[in-house]
Amino acid sequence: MKHLATIFCVASLMVALTCATVQAQDQPQRKVTPVKPKTNKTLTPPKGTPEKIINEYLSGDTAQARAQERKDSLAKIYPHYPKLTELSLGLNFGDLLMTAFGQKYTSVDLNATLNMWNRFQPVVVMGLGRAKDTPQDMNFTYSGKLSPYFKLGANYNFLFKNEPRYQLYVGARLGMSAFKYDITNVNINNPYWGEFGNDYEMKGVSSNALWGEFLAGLKVGIAGNWALGWEVKFHGIFKEKKNASGKPWYIPGYGTRNGNWAFGINLYYNIPLNHSHWPVKEQKKKEKK
Amino acid sequence: MTSKIKYCACAAVIALVAMVSCNNDNCMGNSTGIPLAAFYEGDKQISLSDITVYGIGAPNDSAVIRNATASQVYLPLRITEPKCQYVFDYNIDGIENDTITFDYDIIPYFESRECGAMYNFDIKEYSYTQHFIDSIAIPNPSITNSDVVTIKIFM
Repeated sequence: MKHLATIFCVASLMVALTCATVQAQDQPQRKVTPVKPKTNKTLTPPKGTPEKIINEYLSGDTAQARAQERKDSLAKIYPHYPKLTELSLGLNFGDLLMTAFGQKYTSVDLNATLNMWNRFQPVVVMGLGRAKDTPQDMNFTYSGKLSPYFKLGANYNFLFKNEPRYQLYVGARLGMSAFKYDITNVNINNPYWGEFGNDYEMKGVSSNALWGEFLAGLKVGIAGNWALGWEVKFHGIFKEKKNASGKPWYIPGYGTRNGNWAFGINLYYNIPLNHSHWPVKEQKKKEKK
Repeated sequence: MTSKIKYCACAAVIALVAMVSCNNDNCMGNSTGIPLAAFYEGDKQISLSDITVYGIGAPNDSAVIRNATASQVYLPLRITEPKCQYVFDYNIDGIENDTITFDYDIIPYFESRECGAMYNFDIKEYSYTQHFIDSIAIPNPSITNSDVVTIKIFM
């Protein structure tokens, strides 16, 4: 019985295959029409492709041409400035300006900034500061003698893809100063004991301080190699000399000890270094052409 | 040119924020170094009623407090001499007055622009009678303008 069922299945399969073959032979044969390639089409390079690359393609050195194209493309996105991009010499005159508006202390400093890769910028600052104040309704005159200060630090330029004449940066500084000050015209009264007119002076009190600054700033080219810069600083004193006679009110280069904020305005003269290696903008390239 | 204007505007805003942020501290302490004495019984600060405290040699017999109830009292030190004495009159029958004597160094001190120049004191020695006072403690002999208790008088 089992053999009979198997024979029946095989026979049915054969009949079905035969029918399918006959039906396929009855249908018309599919036409194959080959497409003729357009042999007269001119392959044009993308607009703006340098002639050198086109010549390399034409000469058959496609690998070199592609490598050059990739390099040019990256340069557009990520312009690479040389290690020594620019040297900026600056004059911080923010305090001088504020003195004209009644500020009782002033400082002026010269700073040198080396712009490396248009990103990292080591900075050296040297300056002088002084103060003189006799506050109203108070019992003293504070005279901070003209004293030097120094700062070392670095900036990081966020606009490293742009031209160095426009910069938005953050930075840090370590500052130090050794200075002297006088406290004069001191008048102290002790009404309970009837002690009036007790004057004293503290002259030539020496002190020193070490402080740190975090800053954010802008630098904008104004004309030729000249630029203006604005800086906002947040600073704090790390260490200072402890005197039995008290703490100084003014620290050259730091400012007064009230508050942690300060600002500066700089006039810069920029000296481009390795200018021939600076990336040239496409627009300028066109203008040259 | 437009970008220049944008940069300048940003700079102006930053400078303005910086200027607004500049704050002036006020003087939080006294205008000179004055010791503040407080009365204690054990660890607990107490008030004494009808007490008079005066300095020996003060002009016109003036008192720091007179017949008042007080838990603490300022004792200004002399600035022309390195020594002064205070008398504590309790106005209690049968209890004699106590006298405290301070010997100290007078130290010219510049506190800040807001508080000004003043004198601080460094108490070298002190002595007292023990009619009503049990003992006196001066944990920190340096007297500044800080408004804190520097002399603890235990009754």
